[in-house]
Amino acid sequence: MRTQGTKTVTKTMTKTKTKTLGSSQHRFVRWLAAPPALALWLGACATPPKPTALVAYEDLKKDPTIEDTRKRFPDLVGASDQQGDRAVKEWQSNNLEDSTKAALLAEIKLRTALARNAQEQAKSRLSQLQGDQAKADEMLASVDKDLIAATEQVKLMEKNVAAEADKKRLTEQMASEQKRGEEERQKLSMQLATEEKRAAAQLALRTADTVEAGKYAPGEYNTASSMLAKADEEIKQGNLAAAQASLEVAKSRADRATEISKPSYEQAAQATQNKARDEALARDAAALPGVSVRIERRGELQRLVIAVQDLFVRNQTTLGPGKEAALDPVARLISKYPSYPVQVVGHTDNRGKTGELIALSQARAQSVFSSLVSKGVAATRLMVSGQGPNEPIADNRSPPGRAKNSRIEIIFLYH
Amino acid sequence: MIRTCLARSASASRGARLLGFPLLMMLLATVSLPQAAHADEEDDIQRQIDAQKAGVPDLELLDRSHAAASEIQRLRDWLGQAWDLRNKHEPDEAREVLERCMAEAELIRQIITASQLKAQVADREAKLDRTKSETEKKKKALQEAQIKKRSLESAVGS
Repeated sequence: MRTQGTKTVTKTMTKTKTKTLGSSQHRFVRWLAAPPALALWLGACATPPKPTALVAYEDLKKDPTIEDTRKRFPDLVGASDQQGDRAVKEWQSNNLEDSTKAALLAEIKLRTALARNAQEQAKSRLSQLQGDQAKADEMLASVDKDLIAATEQVKLMEKNVAAEADKKRLTEQMASEQKRGEEERQKLSMQLATEEKRAAAQLALRTADTVEAGKYAPGEYNTASSMLAKADEEIKQGNLAAAQASLEVAKSRADRATEISKPSYEQAAQATQNKARDEALARDAAALPGVSVRIERRGELQRLVIAVQDLFVRNQTTLGPGKEAALDPVARLISKYPSYPVQVVGHTDNRGKTGELIALSQARAQSVFSSLVSKGVAATRLMVSGQGPNEPIADNRSPPGRAKNSRIEIIFLYH
Repeated sequence: MIRTCLARSASASRGARLLGFPLLMMLLATVSLPQAAHADEEDDIQRQIDAQKAGVPDLELLDRSHAAASEIQRLRDWLGQAWDLRNKHEPDEAREVLERCMAEAELIRQIITASQLKAQVADREAKLDRTKSETEKKKKALQEAQIKKRSLESAVGS
């Protein structure tokens, strides 16, 4: 270091000399510059520049923690001071190398002391931080605990609120479903009632059909049919109330049509039935042996006349021998058709007095009546009369004519 | 110098020759002992330099934050310097540098320790800051929860 210091001074001088030689043309100026340069050189020889290490050491001593370090580590700082003092002395003695060495040692020891002081400060800070951390942890734990409790409470309350909302929603939903169910029930009930009314109307119309209401009460029947069709259209459109009203009208009209048509229909049916029976009676009567049958009309009455001849001997009122059996088929025919009133009418030819002949004919009719009753015919159905010679069916002048006129007529009466 | 002494001894009296041998031996011992001691000292310096050099990688490993990187480099330079002085058979100079190296090594250890402690302080401070920050966040969350709770209470009440 000492060498380095010397070199520095020499360089300074050389530079000064060079500058002086550079201005050789101004000799006067050179002589004027020489004394200050010499003074500088002499000054440099007297107090060499401080070694870098010493400067660094002295800068280090300005550290703000130096006093604190000195208190804590007096030995280290003291040793540093000693080396520092030695460095200064060596420098002042112009012994720069030793000064540098001492300054380096002083710096190292002082920095060691400062580092140890920094350690102590750090330890102290760590201890303080440990306490602060414990407090902060405690505070955090406390806040955390409160937060957890509050959060749980909030969650529970939210759950409750949600449950209440769900309950309300479900209640509303149930009410809505009940209402809808009720509406459905009402609708179904309405549909059912409509169907029932429709069935009733249809039945009424079919009933009307059975009595041919279309024929006997066309106004009512047609109205009922059109109302039924209208009701079907209204059902399709979903207008059940109107449909029910239409069906009620249809039923009412159909019933009315039935009511109106029924007597006429029954009458017609009865007539048809009677006609068939009359025809059957006529067929059966025609099939009887030994009798003649004719049909005649008197006023509104039809008469099926079965004329039976040769039942009596002349002027006798009792049936001739063996003639009883001739009445058996007639008795069966009367019994077969029980609804007909039957007249038993006696007739004679014209031989004799009219009064006597009427009495004779009556007596003979009475004999036949008795025979028929004896064969099982209800007496109440039979009416007995004698016409004598008043209703001849043939010429009394000839014997065959008179034989024809002397007869018993079994007459079935009907409309 | 030894030869000069021997020459002077040879020119001494014969009587003194008998006493000369022990003296010669003593003189030899006197001359050779410092040389042996000198060699021992160089070996000792070498051992210490080697020991210091061997410790440098450990110091580098310890100095994870490179807080003492320049000091370690300076230590390496000085150890090289001490080694050169030892090789130039300048033991006093070498020992002086070696002692400075030992002080430097101690300084490095202290710097590393201080650095580690400062790092710990920084960690703890950061941790403390985090804890405080978290506490503040949770306090805020707690306040919000309490506000919400009051709101829900009024909602349930109504």
